[in-house]
Amino acid sequence: MSDVPLLETRGLTRRFGSFDAVSDVSFSVGKGEILGVIGPNGAGKSTFINLVSGHLKPTKGRVLIDGKDMTGAAAWDVARAGVARTFQIVKPFNGMTVRENIAVGILYERHGTNRLSVALELAEEILAEVGLAGSGDRMPGELSTADIRRLEFAKALASKPRLLLLDEVMAGLRPTEIGPSLELILKLKQRGTTVIVVEHVMKAIVAVSDRVLVLAQGKVLMQGDPHEVLADPRVIEVYLGHRYAKRQKGDS
Amino acid sequence: MSISTQMKTRRSLIPIALTLVAVVLALVLKSHLPGGELRAVATIFMFIALSQAWNIIGGFTGYASFGQVVFFGMGGYFTAVVMLKWNFSFWLALVLSGCFAALFAILIGQPLLKLKGHYFAIATLGVAEGMREVVINLPDLTGGGAGISVPIAGKFAKTQYLGDGGFYLLFLALAIFALGIGTLVSRNKFGYGLRAIHQNEDAAAAVGINTVRSKVMAYALSAFITGIVGASYVFQQITIFPERLFDVEITVLMIMMVVIGGSGTVLGPLVGALGLQFVSEYLRQHFTNAHTFILGGIIIVAVILIPQGAVNYLREGRRTKDYSLLTNIRKYRL
Amino acid sequence: MDTFLQVTAYGLLQGGLLALVAVGFSLVWGIMNIVNLSHGAFVILGAYIAWEMQSWIGLDPFLGMFVSAAVLFFVGYFFQRFLINLIVNGPVFITLLLTFGINMILIQGMNLLFTADFRSIQTSYGSNSFEFGNVRIPLVRLLAFLLAIVITFALVAFVKRTRTGISIMATGMDRGAARLMGIQARHVYALTFGISAALAGMAGTMIATIETFDPSKAGKFTLMAFVVAVLGGLGNMYGALVGGLMIGLVESWAGQYLSGTWVNAIAFLVLIIVLIFRPNGLVGKAFYAARVEF
Repeated sequence: MSDVPLLETRGLTRRFGSFDAVSDVSFSVGKGEILGVIGPNGAGKSTFINLVSGHLKPTKGRVLIDGKDMTGAAAWDVARAGVARTFQIVKPFNGMTVRENIAVGILYERHGTNRLSVALELAEEILAEVGLAGSGDRMPGELSTADIRRLEFAKALASKPRLLLLDEVMAGLRPTEIGPSLELILKLKQRGTTVIVVEHVMKAIVAVSDRVLVLAQGKVLMQGDPHEVLADPRVIEVYLGHRYAKRQKGDS
Repeated sequence: MSISTQMKTRRSLIPIALTLVAVVLALVLKSHLPGGELRAVATIFMFIALSQAWNIIGGFTGYASFGQVVFFGMGGYFTAVVMLKWNFSFWLALVLSGCFAALFAILIGQPLLKLKGHYFAIATLGVAEGMREVVINLPDLTGGGAGISVPIAGKFAKTQYLGDGGFYLLFLALAIFALGIGTLVSRNKFGYGLRAIHQNEDAAAAVGINTVRSKVMAYALSAFITGIVGASYVFQQITIFPERLFDVEITVLMIMMVVIGGSGTVLGPLVGALGLQFVSEYLRQHFTNAHTFILGGIIIVAVILIPQGAVNYLREGRRTKDYSLLTNIRKYRL
Repeated sequence: MDTFLQVTAYGLLQGGLLALVAVGFSLVWGIMNIVNLSHGAFVILGAYIAWEMQSWIGLDPFLGMFVSAAVLFFVGYFFQRFLINLIVNGPVFITLLLTFGINMILIQGMNLLFTADFRSIQTSYGSNSFEFGNVRIPLVRLLAFLLAIVITFALVAFVKRTRTGISIMATGMDRGAARLMGIQARHVYALTFGISAALAGMAGTMIATIETFDPSKAGKFTLMAFVVAVLGGLGNMYGALVGGLMIGLVESWAGQYLSGTWVNAIAFLVLIIVLIFRPNGLVGKAFYAARVEF
């Protein structure tokens, strides 16, 4: 492993009007690491993802990908640098079949093929990987909520990313459906993919993350080992409120 | 895998075979039709090419170019001016006018393609209307409102007039060219990128598609085809006027053909162009007075019953085994 | 200086007329996101109805415009309720195409019914005018201008103060939420379109008293409504008025001081630049900036 982190942000800030959605966020993720990002609603998690993926331009601060300055780069340039993402509000290509949805990603992947027939064949493998085998000919509109989430995941995988940004891919899944997603993330780690998991489902975060970053009101509240972070009174406080945190302390 | 590949190869051979048959038929037809009919069929070919051109930006990419006629007009005027003033041959002018239109599309595409929905439609309409005024106000170059004529015979004409038969073949060639481009776009990486952009630009950018460049290229490509069709139309008409060459109705016809036939497919605009031209011609001959009235009614009914267009409707029906028009209407209604 | 004042006054009056043409168009666009390509045909239809009223029973156009408005309200309501509502959720060019089809039917229908001859409504006071200093103000144009202002403010009051108006506004902002509140979107949409058509009918009557009209002029009015609505800001209730006055002034000045028809080219250039840099219009924030798309 080289010393250059795959993703590094320095003082990343995004202001909407007079409101700092993300404020002075600095951290780094090493190659092959899985970083969990948690935080209450409105903590700036999605804005943060958008800043890294190029869908939003930062007001201040810098984004470095594998040591290369990608601050303010267009989303497609970030994608071609090997960063793939999912969207919290899923954005399937509705007028195309599930297979074609994946094929687009394969065609435009940085080392990708230019041949449509090859891309369509390769799409089948990715569909099998996320548990959508056999759904290739269906339209996104015909899929269940869980399958739409899988499709969103698969679209990101089609880009063969070095860094994968998962924005709540497990939201709305039943507990039994979360298992396979977690396995997939761990499999990606084994292949050397770096993953940033933004999630509300705590159990999922603890199960896969090497490290957890807590955002609150746009700032980094703390980061560290998942179990330690989740037991930290400050984290409990931002999630469940002051009074609950106090009671927890009294109990123990 | 080999079976599916074989099936795919076989399926892709059918359109080629059908095209060949159609071309042979068109050539046989040429020697049997009188001059007036030849011109009518040439107009159908012209609209086949135009509707394919619009389909690239409007159908695949999803940008409703309501001022597409600007490329028709600019291609046409470019040809008229260089043939008259600088004695260019028509064939050279034809290619150059396509490039001229494409260049203009690249220029205005940068800012305009940032606009969405109606805003893009109106901005392009504004460009077309404005360009007509510019042409009217440059009489020294363009002949202004009085029109301009291209040389078609004698020693001042580098290219002699092609005649009804010649233009029939020219427009047939343009139609085949446009269909070829349309087919190519529908089946290659670029076209898949455009379709992804149509569905969601953020998601398209997230998989590495340079949405700005793709949109501008799609616009330029559709402008190129529209431009060379405009150039050919000018040579056929000999004398042209800004009102006709920048007529918003030409744009509307293109859109109608694409939408009624099925946008985003290659077959759709073809079906739309053939169908609408035949119906329109039939109505013109049998209901001279009320022909736009009835045509308007047909458009309304078609748009309401099958808003996704004939070809898309049949394809969806085949997938879901549901051809009911009622289910179809439910999709878009309030 | 006198020429300038005269040209300015004329521009303002013309601007009022343009505002009257555009106000209904802007309303429909803002509330329902529908660009109604048959708006100009509604304007012309309104002119014909008022013309017929005058020639049948000698009704003064300033009363006849209420007949035009009433008839067009029902025409508009019908079109929206039974045609446009059916494809309201479709892609942009579907609504454009449908309203264009309606436009074709209306124009050809009027051609068949009224022939394509030029007409205008003549009144005994039609050529009256009065003078402020050296500036001449034609009476009918002044009345049309005042009408535009009254209608704009009446529309704002209607939308803000009446139950129906508020439900129109609510539906424009968030159709889903409005539905949950028990608002019948189908009816409200039809109502909005009816009001827009009625306003077009009044505008048409005014135009008929000032200049000649025939069915082929419909396209021109639709285009004008476009330009005015965009410049003024979509859905901004005062947008049509502001946009109309601006276009009226610019056209009038440019017509006086520029040669040829460059003024038209410039108007479109301004339109495109505004669209690119200020898509919400030149004046302030869009009235319903909070619109929820889904």
